[in-house]
Amino acid sequence: MDKNPYRSVKTEVLEVITETPSIKTFRLRPTEPLTFAPGQFMEMSIPGVGEAPFTPSSFCGDTEKMDITIVKVGKVTEAIHDLAAGDIIGLRGPYGHGYPLEHFKGREVLVVGGGVGLAPLRTLMYSLFEMRKDLAKLVYRAGCRQPCEFLYRDEITGWLSRPDLDIKLTADQCDETWTCATGLVTSIMEDSCVDPSNALGVSCGPPIMMKFVTFKMLEMGIPAERIYLSMEKNMSCGFGKCGHCRLGTFYCCKDGPVFTYDQIKEFPGIWD
Amino acid sequence: MKFLDRVHYESLLQTLGGTHKLLFPVGSKGKFHFKSTDQFNADQAEIGGYRAVEPMKAFFFLAREKVAEAFRPESPGGGAKPLCVVGAKACDLKGFSILDHVFLDPEYGDPTYRKLRAESIIISSDCTDALDTCFCMSLQGMPYPTSGHDINLSPVEGGFVAEAGSEKGEALLSGFPDALPDQLGLMEAQRARVMDKLLRTASENGTPGAADLAGAVGRKYESGLWKEEASTCVECGACNTICPTCHCFLLYDQKDGDHHGRFRVWDSCLINDFARVAGGENPREHLWMRLRNRFDKKFDFFPKVAGEFACTGCGRCSSACPGKIDIRRVLRRLVENG
Repeated sequence: MDKNPYRSVKTEVLEVITETPSIKTFRLRPTEPLTFAPGQFMEMSIPGVGEAPFTPSSFCGDTEKMDITIVKVGKVTEAIHDLAAGDIIGLRGPYGHGYPLEHFKGREVLVVGGGVGLAPLRTLMYSLFEMRKDLAKLVYRAGCRQPCEFLYRDEITGWLSRPDLDIKLTADQCDETWTCATGLVTSIMEDSCVDPSNALGVSCGPPIMMKFVTFKMLEMGIPAERIYLSMEKNMSCGFGKCGHCRLGTFYCCKDGPVFTYDQIKEFPGIWD
Repeated sequence: MKFLDRVHYESLLQTLGGTHKLLFPVGSKGKFHFKSTDQFNADQAEIGGYRAVEPMKAFFFLAREKVAEAFRPESPGGGAKPLCVVGAKACDLKGFSILDHVFLDPEYGDPTYRKLRAESIIISSDCTDALDTCFCMSLQGMPYPTSGHDINLSPVEGGFVAEAGSEKGEALLSGFPDALPDQLGLMEAQRARVMDKLLRTASENGTPGAADLAGAVGRKYESGLWKEEASTCVECGACNTICPTCHCFLLYDQKDGDHHGRFRVWDSCLINDFARVAGGENPREHLWMRLRNRFDKKFDFFPKVAGEFACTGCGRCSSACPGKIDIRRVLRRLVENG
């Protein structure tokens, strides 16, 4: 019998963690193993309501559970935000290509994220911490609009004391609780001190942020073929059939969602 | 090449009706529609003529299908009866090459489409006439099938010249007499007549050929033609649903009795929210961008990923468009200077 690519795996919601006023993390346990690599995404559905694409935010080495961090923006995510521990949802995937971690070895890695883009990057960072000895350098730069919207704030500020990480955080607007920088994330990229001849950049966040982060990385001398971007399009089927997420000659779901800037830079409207 | 007289033709199809759901064109007032039945009716079936109003994809890639039920691993469409299509035209078969590229990939193939394609029998036929909107020859097509069929029928006096296009077709035709030179001559003369008509229509309309269209959408990406052509578009999506190669779909979940079902329905890239992402951002917010996207996909994307245009020259979109957007006019403007 053919495998049915449209079918979801029954999954239990173990825990719901409120991260910010509009973002929650859902700890999920699929009834069949669904293992993923950093940067790959899942299709999560509320039975009878709808389905939407999300990238896991937990360590990919945990094959029993996965966390998915979701911002409330529409019909499906509103229903997801109403979930509680014990509820049953559907998951299918993983889909697409994530980060080619083999190619990261020996490189100076600059990871720049913002907003809910910090969720997929958390999965990546866990893997990069695991392979830290194989990396020449690891630099992390993250931003948010306001401190109250900083995703995983406690955990990430905890990384500030890691000796194996060069980390800086910023908020567009600060408040009295904020002790880090103020300004756009590109303003804390200047002093990353990566050697462009061996550096590799990763960016995930709102399109407008990724656009300026990419330009900044190019300005720093990182070549387009070593700038990895996590692109968001309307991924629906997840396997290159439904046509919604076309990006030039690619489908974001099947050929991405992680692309090098070099792969997509000639296509019109990539930041739209 | 074999010859099937009317009696043998009828008995062959009656036999196939025992194991397959038969689809054949029936027509009135110059319009053909596929009739679905278990019982062949030779008096009704219009084997010659030209393409039917609806594309053949409608029977293989269904307009609406339940594709998953609860969390069950099996495909709900697993029991579909194989089809025997009679009187499919060359443009329909060419449409399959795009749909096969999309739906038959080894890892994520569509279960129903794969099953129907594997088990069905395609008995195609020559076009014995052409519509004013037909332009298959401009896109390297012919008004008679050259591949993709199990059997092709060319109507001639007293029956059909029958050519096997697959092992399945060879087996079905074994035992029938070879066509006579006179019968082959009639077939060739008829093909030449239809080709002549198509070439004349293309020339009258200035329809560009395949070679001129390579890279044309990219060259005219920023042209004002998209806004002008989209000015009469009413965003109905008929061009998508009637197209033999358009494959885009929407998945939606709904309660289905006691449990939930997932349905796959045809979608249309002309509709406003086709590419919209959660949060409301829409990379193709204007209608003219979506019209451009349709041509970009057909005449740029598919040549690059599948080696061929996702257009068969069937002209259905031109016939169906309430805004009178003629695909040949758009193609002509794509290759014009300036």
